[in-house]
Amino acid sequence: MRFIANEDQAAFLSVLDQMIEPHRVWRVAHDWSRYDWSAELDEALETSGFYACAAEPSLGLTAAAIMTYRLATLPVLVESAASSTLRALHAPDLPRPVAVIEGELLSVAPYLPLAKSVIWIGEDLVQAAVLPDGAVDPVESIFAYPMGVLKAPAMEWKTLATDPAIARDVWRVALAAEMTGCLKGGLDTVVAHVRARQQFGRPLGSFQGIQHRLAVAAVKVEAAYWLTVRAAQHPGTPEPSAALGYVQEAATPVVHDLHQFMGAMGLTLEHPLHRWTYRVRLLKSSMGGGSTNMRGVAAKRWEAA
Amino acid sequence: MEFNWTEEQREYRARIRDFLERELPADWSEVSRHGPGSREVTEFSLEFCPKLAAEGLLVPHWPVEWGGRERPAWEHFILGEEMWAAGEPRGAQYMNVNWIGPTLMRFGTEEQKNRYIPQMAAGKAIWCQGFSEPNAGSDLARLRTRAIRDGDDYVINGSKIWTSYAAMAEHCFLLARTGAAEGKAGIAIFLVPMSTPGIEVRGIPSLIGHGDIHEVFFTDVRVPATARLGEEGEAWSIISYSLANERVGIPRYELASRTLTSMVKELKRRGEFDNPVIQARAGSASAACEAARLLVYRIVDARSRGENLGAEASLARIAVTEADQAVTNFGLDFLPDAFSGHDYPDYLAHHERAIVTSIAAGAAEIQLGLIARQWLDLPREAS
Repeated sequence: MRFIANEDQAAFLSVLDQMIEPHRVWRVAHDWSRYDWSAELDEALETSGFYACAAEPSLGLTAAAIMTYRLATLPVLVESAASSTLRALHAPDLPRPVAVIEGELLSVAPYLPLAKSVIWIGEDLVQAAVLPDGAVDPVESIFAYPMGVLKAPAMEWKTLATDPAIARDVWRVALAAEMTGCLKGGLDTVVAHVRARQQFGRPLGSFQGIQHRLAVAAVKVEAAYWLTVRAAQHPGTPEPSAALGYVQEAATPVVHDLHQFMGAMGLTLEHPLHRWTYRVRLLKSSMGGGSTNMRGVAAKRWEAA
Repeated sequence: MEFNWTEEQREYRARIRDFLERELPADWSEVSRHGPGSREVTEFSLEFCPKLAAEGLLVPHWPVEWGGRERPAWEHFILGEEMWAAGEPRGAQYMNVNWIGPTLMRFGTEEQKNRYIPQMAAGKAIWCQGFSEPNAGSDLARLRTRAIRDGDDYVINGSKIWTSYAAMAEHCFLLARTGAAEGKAGIAIFLVPMSTPGIEVRGIPSLIGHGDIHEVFFTDVRVPATARLGEEGEAWSIISYSLANERVGIPRYELASRTLTSMVKELKRRGEFDNPVIQARAGSASAACEAARLLVYRIVDARSRGENLGAEASLARIAVTEADQAVTNFGLDFLPDAFSGHDYPDYLAHHERAIVTSIAAGAAEIQLGLIARQWLDLPREAS
């Protein structure tokens, strides 16, 4: 049992941190968009090979999950979850960014308008296709992602050479990492706000009513992080469902509190909080949502009980 | 990062389980149901712990000098998981193993060490912890029990409350105020034989196992100055060291997790586990147990490398509280009949231990305040 990164993982994450640090700066999107796609960072990570880390034995899905978590703490958007997990492990030749569609093929999905390829996760089959030009209709959305829908299901689909159940677990780990990172990004910005914002002659963060709720949020984020990192080593067990289900069930009260303590400023597009919370609000229904994933935990843990 | 047990750790756990299988009586569930502080479990511990000591399983992480084998922190924790999940057959003696013994090793005089530690390592010592008072619970630094120096002695007057194990303890690890200083600075620790004249113990009927909590009254209790542990005014720094380990000392998530599995099996037996609501709630409770486990393991991992973490212990304590509550609520919601009568002693045992989780060893609200200040760096509340 070792909770610290191995030498290769530590070096990988150290370089990653150097690359992403300049992107922590908040800026309003030029068109008041709800997301700020950073083509520059996304491309830099791709050309440096970061998105392929899961295929490296000494880095593995663990490093991919931590990278996805750390990238999700940024106020800018890159596409890491699918690229660094499903693509790296099962379809490394797919052009990226990669969008993932769960369930109904013609459902609205994040990243589709920017994606060069798509992975479709069905119940018993996981397939991938390169997206031809014009294959996607953008969809206006409240969520902090570019959202879109395929115009037609007909494409050159290739079945990924992997157990669909394992692929679904790998995707759960990726989603849990992204959601947890988003909650961490939101929590950090709100904590900074309540440290500085004075009301009634004292910082908001000195009120116990606020301290305790943010402390509970911090516990949820930490627990979700470690559940996710452990699950990255154990696809095919109850752990990926537990990691995703845990953060999905935690998400609603935490997001509520983050917006509550940011006050009216958190309702504007001038403040970055929505960049995280409106990703979480989409992801909390992924792979069936919290209750479905928790049923998955029960099914796997007590199958033979 | 690595989240699997080594072969050696698996074998160690199996060895403990074999020992428990061999040594616990057939009616152990009914005995342990009364709680670690009950007369039944305390008496059993005085038979059980010497056997554990003979197997090298009572204080494996202690130095060889004091009867230990200097085994890694992980083995100490695996031992704790198995014992707690088995109904804590060590009774009160788990405190000796976890923190009273190590505290004496670090801060005790040679006489104190030689007098008390060998008995603990042999599994024959019952101690209680004289901390809380009627007006000093979470705000422990306001305690008023006073020890006045009188020549070579101290004379102690005051009272303690919520004291576990006091009725059968031979010694008390007692906090008392010695000087004029208020707050933390005026407190000292005394190692007091419970047979000393002037000590009266009264049991408090409670929800957490019979005989578990007590009031202890000290009336002109005279102890020699050699009973003081450390110097006057040093108590706070000593117990901060002691309880840093204790905050995550009891692996409550392990009992919670095993109780949950037992409840799921019972629901399956009754044909009720097909209900998707019940399945989802079981999954949630399971995830809560695993969340608590990982936050605790992170601390054990740091300890195994010689590092001491800070607010992480408070994060773990909150997660452990949530896990215990999730399992308790699962049982109460879906197996309500199991909490009456005598057919499900394990569920009752878990319930009685779980309802204290958010209070014992530092109330949840204290932990949340520590997280706010030490983890989130939020400003201290205005007085």
